[in-house]
Amino acid sequence: MGLLNFIKRIEPDKDKHPFLHTVYDGIYTLMYVPEHTASGGTHLKDKIDLKRVMFTVVLSLVMAYIFGIWNIGHQHFRALGKYVGLTDGLHLKFAFGIAKILPIFIVTHIVGLGIEFYYAYKRGHGIEEGYLVTGALIPLIMPPDIPLWILTIAIVFAVVLGKEAFGGTGMNVWNIALLTRVFIFFAYPLSISGDGVWFAGLTEAKAGAMADYGWIEHYIFNPIFNALGWDTFQAAGTAVVDGFTGATPLSLAFTGGWDNVLSHYSPSELWYGLVPGSVGEVSKPMILIGMLILLLTRVASWRIIFGGLIGAALTAFVLNQWGVTPMMQVPWYYQFYMGSALFAITFMATDPVTAAGTKWGKWVYGLLIGFFGILIRVLNPAYPEGWMLAILFMNTFAPLLDYISLQSNIKKRLKRAKV
Amino acid sequence: MELINIFLKSAFIENLALSYFLGMCSFLAVSKSVKTASGLGLAVIFVLGITIPINWLIDHYLLSENGLFGMDLTFLRFILFIAVIASMVQLVEMVVEKVSPALYSALGIFLPLITVNCAILGGSLFMISKELNFSESLVFGLGGGFGWFLAIVAIAAIREKIRYSNVPAPLRGLGIAFIITGFMGMAFMALMGIDPAALVGK
Repeated sequence: MGLLNFIKRIEPDKDKHPFLHTVYDGIYTLMYVPEHTASGGTHLKDKIDLKRVMFTVVLSLVMAYIFGIWNIGHQHFRALGKYVGLTDGLHLKFAFGIAKILPIFIVTHIVGLGIEFYYAYKRGHGIEEGYLVTGALIPLIMPPDIPLWILTIAIVFAVVLGKEAFGGTGMNVWNIALLTRVFIFFAYPLSISGDGVWFAGLTEAKAGAMADYGWIEHYIFNPIFNALGWDTFQAAGTAVVDGFTGATPLSLAFTGGWDNVLSHYSPSELWYGLVPGSVGEVSKPMILIGMLILLLTRVASWRIIFGGLIGAALTAFVLNQWGVTPMMQVPWYYQFYMGSALFAITFMATDPVTAAGTKWGKWVYGLLIGFFGILIRVLNPAYPEGWMLAILFMNTFAPLLDYISLQSNIKKRLKRAKV
Repeated sequence: MELINIFLKSAFIENLALSYFLGMCSFLAVSKSVKTASGLGLAVIFVLGITIPINWLIDHYLLSENGLFGMDLTFLRFILFIAVIASMVQLVEMVVEKVSPALYSALGIFLPLITVNCAILGGSLFMISKELNFSESLVFGLGGGFGWFLAIVAIAAIREKIRYSNVPAPLRGLGIAFIITGFMGMAFMALMGIDPAALVGK
């Protein structure tokens, strides 16, 4: 308990240094569970507060993070035609991935938490923990080479207008991480969509382009690897191999159907995530591990997850039967192999703040997310992937679903009461 | 199939409230509770569903060159359309007052103000510019009304949900409603670009 005593001793005075106290309080409650639990008329009297719940989500994302970091490097070297084997150049791939993801992670947290701290101090409430999950999710849904200034603008937009304007954590109507992404998607589309952006560290993601490393690789990782006698990053003379297009599975499927995807990637590559894409979405087994953690700890609602999966499967199955465009003919079970279907349903749709809250509402919410996600992906030529927009669309209607559910329950009970 | 296509398009993809931002005054003013919002939404569905076909008839048989008068009277469109809309709204007002006095008092001035609801006149003018035929214009009216109904009910549910939220004081009321409308428009961009005609092959 030495650390606890030390932390208690340095508590700043609330009246003299209000801002310092806000920061202190936020960090203190993150490290230690609150000393007092609810008592009296409430039913729940344990120490599982919001921070513990949020942290479970962050933990369930760790596997996706590790795989995503490796995959950034793997995709980069695959485009260059070097270290094609899965275990070749492992240290280079991880180092490259870390060099890409760390700046995104740091900027996300500095900007987001900065706004959070400022508002907590200005409005005189404790620092709330909603940003823990948002901040962990945002790097996972970005392309590895996203310009940091664009990221900053998008986070400011999402956190200030999407969350603080509505009153802070727990009050937002739309998912903050998705608002960040949708802002970039509409305001700076070239940096987040298309075939070229999913391969990091190339001056231009197409055949003949040269590898391009920053100071982190040159001045931090290279000396270390040199000292250890391992391979180092070599920028000069490494060009992208011939025949490289950088096309993602979804854009391949949209133009030429499932056969076109198979001519570039095998189903097991798609399943294990050896494909270009946003950092966290690629590896399906890692996402399933996260899903399992969330389901076992009951942090995520199983109704939403299964509703989403069933809705997507049914919609894809019906479109299979219809089958007039190449994308419609993609077998329905392979729709889950491509893109961010599983990731979005597991981590984005289940956000308890923006999802529907009633049992009936959760089912309908999940089913409709699955329905719209597949519908946008398959039918909308403007967007290659639909889950981000499908979830924002259903966020809009979640309060309505809850309202309908509540009203019908009230009516039912009134009827029972009269009898 | 063509009719389903038009219905889906006018209700979801080219939503009058959230893609064209028409009918904003009542959209923002009457969306404080779901009950009154759905009442107004139903009234708008009814008025749109009736006025657009009637305006189609007027435009086609009275104003166009091969109409009753044999000359191009399309410069009278606005005034005649508004006259039709005003009389239809009178009808709705009488019906609502008779059937549901509570809703009538809740809607207040905004019921007669449907007359000047831009979504209604906008619907009629879209009908002209899209060159729909009679049955298509009926479906277009109902679809557009349904989309507007959906939008106002959804924003009303959101505003009921955030009633107890700690919204910053300067934003309370209309301010946050504007922000919500913007985000809803962003969410509705999900469907923009979908062509239901693609369902039957290109």
